[in-house]
Amino acid sequence: MAGPTIDHMVSIIVLVAALTLSFAIYNQILANAIAYERHRQVAMKAMDLMDIICLSPGNPPDWGRSDCAPLGFGLQDPESAGYMLSPYSIMRLMPLGGGGLVYYPKTGSYYNNFSLGPGGSLLVAVGDSINYTTTARLLGVNGSYGFQISITPTLNVSISQVPASYLILKVKVRGPGLPLSGATLNYYMHQVVANPNNSFPLIKAQSGVAQTDSAGSALIEFPSIDDSSDAYSFVVYAHLGGLNGVGYYSHDVLGGYPQFIVPFIKNLEQGTIIIAHNWDVHNFGPPVPNVFYNATFLVLTENFELRPVQIVNSTGQVNYGAGKPYNTTQVPASESGILFISYRWGNKFGTIMVPWGISTLGVSVTFGDNPSDREWVATELRQVIVNGMSYQVKLAVWSLKD
Amino acid sequence: MMRTVEVLFVIIIILGAFMITTQFAVLPSPRQIFGTNLRELAVSTLQTLDAKYNLSRMAFKDASDPEWAAMQKALSASLPPNIVFNLTVFSINSTGGIVTYQLVSSISNAEGDLGVGSESASCLVTSSDVTFGITPEKIGGKKPRTLYILNCNDANGWWITGYTGQSLASDLKNLLSPYFQTTILINSTAQLELLLNNSTQIGGTKQNAVVINTFGEAVPIPRAYCQGGSRESEGYSGGSYAKYCHTLGIKTRVYNWTWVSIVGYPVYYVTNTNFFTGSSDQNTYGIYGMKQVGAAGLNNFLRGLDNQAYSSSDTQWLTADIREQLQFTSEALDLSNYYGIYPAPSPMASRALPVTGSLSIVSRYHLTRRATMFELKTVSGVQYCPAATFSHTGGGALTAIGLTRTPDIRITVLDLLMYYRPSIYKSEFGASDTSRLVTLQLSQQGGT
Repeated sequence: MAGPTIDHMVSIIVLVAALTLSFAIYNQILANAIAYERHRQVAMKAMDLMDIICLSPGNPPDWGRSDCAPLGFGLQDPESAGYMLSPYSIMRLMPLGGGGLVYYPKTGSYYNNFSLGPGGSLLVAVGDSINYTTTARLLGVNGSYGFQISITPTLNVSISQVPASYLILKVKVRGPGLPLSGATLNYYMHQVVANPNNSFPLIKAQSGVAQTDSAGSALIEFPSIDDSSDAYSFVVYAHLGGLNGVGYYSHDVLGGYPQFIVPFIKNLEQGTIIIAHNWDVHNFGPPVPNVFYNATFLVLTENFELRPVQIVNSTGQVNYGAGKPYNTTQVPASESGILFISYRWGNKFGTIMVPWGISTLGVSVTFGDNPSDREWVATELRQVIVNGMSYQVKLAVWSLKD
Repeated sequence: MMRTVEVLFVIIIILGAFMITTQFAVLPSPRQIFGTNLRELAVSTLQTLDAKYNLSRMAFKDASDPEWAAMQKALSASLPPNIVFNLTVFSINSTGGIVTYQLVSSISNAEGDLGVGSESASCLVTSSDVTFGITPEKIGGKKPRTLYILNCNDANGWWITGYTGQSLASDLKNLLSPYFQTTILINSTAQLELLLNNSTQIGGTKQNAVVINTFGEAVPIPRAYCQGGSRESEGYSGGSYAKYCHTLGIKTRVYNWTWVSIVGYPVYYVTNTNFFTGSSDQNTYGIYGMKQVGAAGLNNFLRGLDNQAYSSSDTQWLTADIREQLQFTSEALDLSNYYGIYPAPSPMASRALPVTGSLSIVSRYHLTRRATMFELKTVSGVQYCPAATFSHTGGGALTAIGLTRTPDIRITVLDLLMYYRPSIYKSEFGASDTSRLVTLQLSQQGGT
């Protein structure tokens, strides 16, 4: 009697153990398969979204050049085909976190800050921008998928000053992979000097061509410029084998004061730009500079030449406080270029550049939500051209239903 | 003991099932599903490198040319460090109908093959040395027609804002002369008189010719046809120059011309800057050297074309203002592609001619509407034609482009080509190796 009972007990124990083990293994296989399937869906969605963003101009196709709200989202240049993005549509994206919104009391408006380096500024009226929620809705992923788009120049063109008795600038060009040796550099130096006839500053322009060495570097000398006393802006375009990039460097002589001028893009469709006194934006206290400025719009041609174009209110005076209105100028909205503003207060000189179309100064834009703390994020990478400049678009997509 | 043995059998069956299942349920490696989409990255890389034709230029250069090295540097610099590439160029040759691909050269930053996990994309590039030429058939065939373009230096234009008659004449000559055996510019109103009188001093064949008036709503008038001139009776009557327009209609019919009005209301003014020099000799908008004829001009032109008598009282306004954008007819779209002429899309017409109703020029003057450029538009129950060629059953034709200023002469050119339909023979010449295939293979290094 005891033998069959033990036999039954042993067999049941072994059977239960075997079943438990097999269920656990099968469960693991199924869990992996479900995870793979979910991740594959996110990866496919990332590909779809990337195609929509890079290969369709949106609706209306020229929404980037207008101040209307788009009915369909896409960043492709409506006048081109393939992986060509519109420099204007990208300017209408609200940078991640607003990029640090700037409030200008004289217009009562907030402006998105695209966070350029010193000497550059791109502040676009929030009313002209489209935000992440709207974009997600237009892309059909609102509430189901989150995403972040990073649009960055392929080439990193960094410029630094080499200690010397006169101005020597070191230009380094490198991509995500390697330094770019043998690249042709088209550079433009705009030096700000005093006008002997009036208070408005003058611009002395010079340009040249150089080439990077095997380390992707080049030294460019300006014997006529003294870094300690001269204000200037330097823009360089690098290109090799179909790869194009841009970098800039700026030096002000402001005696420890912050920059005097803040340019705000008032209307993208009309190309109107406000030239505001910085003390009206951030009250730095007295003394308040009485600023004279000289503005020029430089159109970037296909051959990487900066061609000056006449604009309205190219010279003017701005000051701080009530009764001291800001000035407004207008650039040709259909032309990509740089609004170059030189300013002066006594013997203090400075410059500020506003890119019209993000590519002319190599502006990077990060748009969307933050993917940190997400369980799994699919990424897509594409090479694109933005008005002749090489850019890379990286798209991160994640599911919101995990 | 028996039960334990049975359970062991069950376990063996379960393990067997598990083994068989795992054989079939093979999950792909993570990289295959979630790795960078190398194919699209390769496509976008090829497109961006060829945005300014750098890739095309390089593909046709010798492998020792510095452009190959530049392309290698550009590829190395632009791709992420963990991605290796192989860019290969093949020449495409066709011998006896068999297409063969021959390796020209390749550049890579990897040693050996890129592995089975690699992806590739390709594109065709064309040599910049290749020339695609077209040989147009001459209009008229064995009896080629002559093209006369009014380029009178003593005439002013109207509704050609931004242009001059002379600049338009030059452009029209460039666009149309390949389709005509002979193209002659009529450089003064004196030469125009010779043309109207079939003088041998003007070259070309007057019969069956095409005459283009480049002065918009104004038409040059020779001095002889003006008041007090030797041919006043053919040009001036009762204080109006509508008689001149009637004469032009007659000449168009007799010589079987195709008279072309490039914009606006046809023959609405007459112009001669040497004769109309008075302070009131202007078109009421400050353009001097011309006299207004008004609607009587076109009416009498059409009367002359239809062999009807001149009427000084026929001053009925014909055209309508179409207050919406126009659409090309399917015929115009097809022939636009055929001839490679692409006018600005969706223009407006403020001088469209009626083709139905009591004012219809088709029924009143025995005309046939041909080469209709835009879809007809209905205004107050009457159909209007913005641009077409109206041919008369007894000879002669009027091409009337009734669009709003400023003129788009591509529409004039296309309408004439639609009317005559000359064939064009496309040819390709240059090197035989005109296209090359470029493939870019990418592979990801590291990871699983």
